[in-house]
Amino acid sequence: MRRIVARVAAGLACLLAQAAAAAPALPPPYAGAYQPQGVDEIGLWREMDEDEQRLASSSLVIRDEKLTRYLTKILCDTVGADRCNSARIYVVREPTVNASMAPNGTMRIFSGILLRFQNEAQLGAVLGHEFGHFEGRHSLVHFKSRRQGTDLLAWAAVLASLAPSYDVRRSYQDLKLSVYGNLYRFGRDQEREADALGISYLNRSQFPPQAGSQFWQNIMAEFEASARARGLKKPNFERIAFTASHPPHGERAATLAKLALPDAAARDAGADRYRAALAPWLPLFLEDQIKLNDFGASDYLIQSLAQSDWTAPLWFARGELYRSRGAQRDLVNAAEFYAQAIAADGSMADAYRGLGLSLVKTGRRSEGAQALRTYLEKKPGASDASMILMMLPKEGTGN
Amino acid sequence: MSLKRCSFWLGLVLSMGIFAIAPADAQERSAVRQGFQLATNSNKRILVFPPSVRVGAQSTGGMFEPNAEWTERAKMNIQGALKILQAKLGNQVIVAPDADGDQARNLHEHMSLFAAISQAVIEYQFFVGNRLPTKKRDNKAEIFDWSMGQSVANLPGADSADYALFIYNKDAYGSTGRKMLQMVAMLGGVGVTSGEHVGYAGLIDLKTGDLLWLNADGAMGGDVREVDGADKRVAQLLEDFPGSQIGKAAQQ
Amino acid sequence: MTAKTRIMAVAMIATGLLSLASPSLAHKLHEKGAAVAVANAPLWVTPSRDWNQLSGRIGKYAETWTLDGGQLNDVTFYGGIPAGESLVRERSKKHDPLPKFTAETLLIEVPELVERTYRAFKGIGTFSLISTDPAPFLGKDGVRFTYEYTDDDELTRKGEARAAIIGGKLYMMTFDAPRLNYFGKTIADYRALADSATLR
Repeated sequence: MRRIVARVAAGLACLLAQAAAAAPALPPPYAGAYQPQGVDEIGLWREMDEDEQRLASSSLVIRDEKLTRYLTKILCDTVGADRCNSARIYVVREPTVNASMAPNGTMRIFSGILLRFQNEAQLGAVLGHEFGHFEGRHSLVHFKSRRQGTDLLAWAAVLASLAPSYDVRRSYQDLKLSVYGNLYRFGRDQEREADALGISYLNRSQFPPQAGSQFWQNIMAEFEASARARGLKKPNFERIAFTASHPPHGERAATLAKLALPDAAARDAGADRYRAALAPWLPLFLEDQIKLNDFGASDYLIQSLAQSDWTAPLWFARGELYRSRGAQRDLVNAAEFYAQAIAADGSMADAYRGLGLSLVKTGRRSEGAQALRTYLEKKPGASDASMILMMLPKEGTGN
Repeated sequence: MSLKRCSFWLGLVLSMGIFAIAPADAQERSAVRQGFQLATNSNKRILVFPPSVRVGAQSTGGMFEPNAEWTERAKMNIQGALKILQAKLGNQVIVAPDADGDQARNLHEHMSLFAAISQAVIEYQFFVGNRLPTKKRDNKAEIFDWSMGQSVANLPGADSADYALFIYNKDAYGSTGRKMLQMVAMLGGVGVTSGEHVGYAGLIDLKTGDLLWLNADGAMGGDVREVDGADKRVAQLLEDFPGSQIGKAAQQ
Repeated sequence: MTAKTRIMAVAMIATGLLSLASPSLAHKLHEKGAAVAVANAPLWVTPSRDWNQLSGRIGKYAETWTLDGGQLNDVTFYGGIPAGESLVRERSKKHDPLPKFTAETLLIEVPELVERTYRAFKGIGTFSLISTDPAPFLGKDGVRFTYEYTDDDELTRKGEARAAIIGGKLYMMTFDAPRLNYFGKTIADYRALADSATLR
């Protein structure tokens, strides 16, 4: 245990030192393609190559050449043409805020993070950060530290299972937090290094490097909104959070802001171009987000996406979100949001469905039935058409 | 909905391989579908899919650490041992052609199904303390009824063979820390497995998908990193293979 | 390890000897033709063949049956979920809440409730509802729906379910199995079981 405390202390010292030393940075010269060395690393690469083969044929990968080409272009615009050739991008349909790049060059971008970028510069900031991991060949070091962490956990599990009283379980859980903290603190040093590399790419690119800091500020605001809706305490971003694999978001946003070239803030962030590129996928990504059952985060996200323009898909998503939580006041709001979606795009059949169901649930049966009839007119082959038909009052009964 | 995530504690205990100790010798390891017989030299063609082999170390925490050198060596050893032994299977052996794209995806899903069936057989028909009542009764009546379904007929190479042999191996060797953990746990009556040596071999009817013969164990012998050990493993996987003399040969 | 902690460890080992005696994991047989109440509810079924009831429960109102093991065929009964409750047990009410069945939930919204529960409980990113149709269940107006998703064991599973809302409570039967072989092979047995279900 003493070792863990020492490591946390060392981490804090490192954190302070880094914050003090922060200054605008430029990337080092590119060292070129890398080949694995030693038993551990060769083994890891084989696993990664096999993972990539499986990934390439996975049903979770979104095979949209236009989207992949666009993301690759932004990566190249950010890290430079010499570097970006070593990456192969896969978009994975998974509604979490995540992206990763393995040392063999496989880059995974989750649909959940694509939903949260406001412009090309923020996308570039994250792609550059992941590329920074690749350039630093960090995964191997991480794997070795993970091994130590779980070793400690297994000892604790044996001791805890030998005397499964409440107290031991509780202390076991504390230990679990410390071990993961140790593991992730180690990871966080690497994250800091990747952040520094990532921002140096941005400084040299056409994008405003301040985008990195803005992205993390947005994520923090979303976390707060999520916690608020669940009745949890406001998360303290300045403290080292043991459950996070990344530097505390507060520190991160501040450091990224310091590292950014100040006079580059006026560069074009490419918000319109990003929105246009993502538009075909926005409804699906929003649907996956809403079904995560995280009301606060989803509502925050929809509103932040709507800052420039409330489009029909955004109104519709908000209606679905409120209807799924389902309190009476939510249903009244949902009906209003669906109506806005219909006003923005009268051809949106599913908005009539949502409107109809919300009205029925708030007692406005005849109006609801009218909306459901319109839904069936606009989408006669709907998968739930017969079910909706059953809900409609028979003609003439005046129900 | 499956019980996979039924509780944090159960999950933790299982993932770390901590069980109450069950008498190892009471457990069955292989079974044959009722009425299935394969005579030596019956001119049946057996399609062999490339064995799935993964070797690594198991840290004290039970985490699997892949080791390419071991995997590569084990693959070579197992394939070498299989080559020698398949000549003794007593019937004609065909090596499956390479698959790619959709064919590879389809083969991968069938491999996953083979692994899921093997696990279900071990968990619910072989494992004494956990048998499903209907499987217990099947055991008494010598019924062994599992199937991968007729879609196996579309697997690469299936049209030129009668049966397919699936082989699946995953080996994690215990580290020193893991072995010490095992000793402490033994004192307390908690079983911690040091290392994980999973091996399944199954013969599938390529017309019906029926599992004709299965040899499956979560505690296989033989160090597949060594030539002798791989010979022993493959012999163990293929012992009692219908129509062969391998079981007896391995004893000698 | 200090001497003191070593003594503690030995003491813990000693108590462990008593408390970790073999966990009872007896699965139960339900025989063909014998009517039985399921999921702690007045929900009765008469099996048309022998089924096994798995010993574990995923929720207070749930019970799972299988023929060959949960990974190959899984029938789960949900016996009268009251308003305000989730379908299965929540891992953490506060941090990881599951969607709730409410007094306002419409029959047509039950498939969405199942979808959101599966996504959150199994942690899967994709789930597709394939069809939703009216079908009587327990002698009342009900819904029958089908779906598909891929689990973390890399097997794609298909599902079919029937549900009805009776007296403000949700009654439901789901069937999940790998799309390779097992779904098609067992679906008729599940449907026979669902057809036999009554509320007494």
